[in-house]
Amino acid sequence: MTTHSEAGTVFTARKFTDWATVKESILSKKVGASFLLAPMAMQLAADGVPVKIVYLGHRDGSALVVGKDSPIQSFEDLRGKVVAVPNRFANQNLLLRKMMRERGMPFDAIETRDVPPPEHPTALQAGAVDAFVVGEPFCAKAEMDGVGRVLYHTKDIWPGFISCVLVVHQDFLDEQPELIAELVSGISKSGLWLDESMENRFDASHVVGKHFYFQKPQLLQWVLSKPVDRVTYGDLKPIRANFDEIMELAFETGILPRRLRFEEYVDPSFVPAGERSAWGVEAETLREEAARLRLEPGTAPDLEMPELKRRAQ
Amino acid sequence: MKFKVFMGALVWALLISALHVQLNVGWRDLGHKLKVLLGVERQELLVGFLPVT
Repeated sequence: MTTHSEAGTVFTARKFTDWATVKESILSKKVGASFLLAPMAMQLAADGVPVKIVYLGHRDGSALVVGKDSPIQSFEDLRGKVVAVPNRFANQNLLLRKMMRERGMPFDAIETRDVPPPEHPTALQAGAVDAFVVGEPFCAKAEMDGVGRVLYHTKDIWPGFISCVLVVHQDFLDEQPELIAELVSGISKSGLWLDESMENRFDASHVVGKHFYFQKPQLLQWVLSKPVDRVTYGDLKPIRANFDEIMELAFETGILPRRLRFEEYVDPSFVPAGERSAWGVEAETLREEAARLRLEPGTAPDLEMPELKRRAQ
Repeated sequence: MKFKVFMGALVWALLISALHVQLNVGWRDLGHKLKVLLGVERQELLVGFLPVT
């Protein structure tokens, strides 16, 4: 692991525990850039805060989880139930609205409750909620702990789902564009590297688990392999159609006070030239790799396999 | 007389600059920026995140 980029810049990751503090740190320019919930970034722009989305953090990587032995078998079964969401301004909240609208259900057919992401599995286990929809690794944690069952992965109900986006204050974009370009380029390269092979993903699980997430690598390996396209990093360019859909949903739900033009909150000029614009290729590569490592989609990695065990040491 | 005016203006400019650094910039930040300019330290960018996808 290097401590600086190829150009010599030190990018220091600062961990936060709640979205309000992240938002405040962007406003006060205490951080140069930050990953933020997509609708929250739109809301900042709608309020006149000079911020722009320059890249995505990942695609997919969220799931709707119900109790392991819950009788809930389909989305319609959630009618009249309580579902935890990470935040009112989370795209997971809008996902529920989208699914309700597609099924002709009124928006009050399901009660949503804001719960901090790490508390989702325990809220489900305690019976405080009937289901939750949140980003990883908390869905995987509920599965690993035998508490929850994935009803839907976002990749299956909203392909290319966007949760967190890279947000930068306009002042940084104007004053240090080369730094932001370097950061985006680094994220792009890391994403392609992650989607290149299962070996890379397992290596990353150790580094991220130990130095950034402070969680067991096995949990992150579960996220990155079960199934292999549970979360993807290969196509992180902000695409207008994706964001228009989120913006419309946010406006209909009342999260946004007005409709926003794509250019008001996105600056795609930092996307590395020649980046692939269609997803699916990376997931296919991963499936081939999983087959090589004898990992079937929907199965946990066999950590006792000599090849993986050696790498885990 | 001219010398006294010049010295007075210089001292005033230094004082007001020092006050600006103290109140608005921070001596540590200024030192870091100077070191980056001189090539002694690497440029740094803080990137915020929550441990959730």
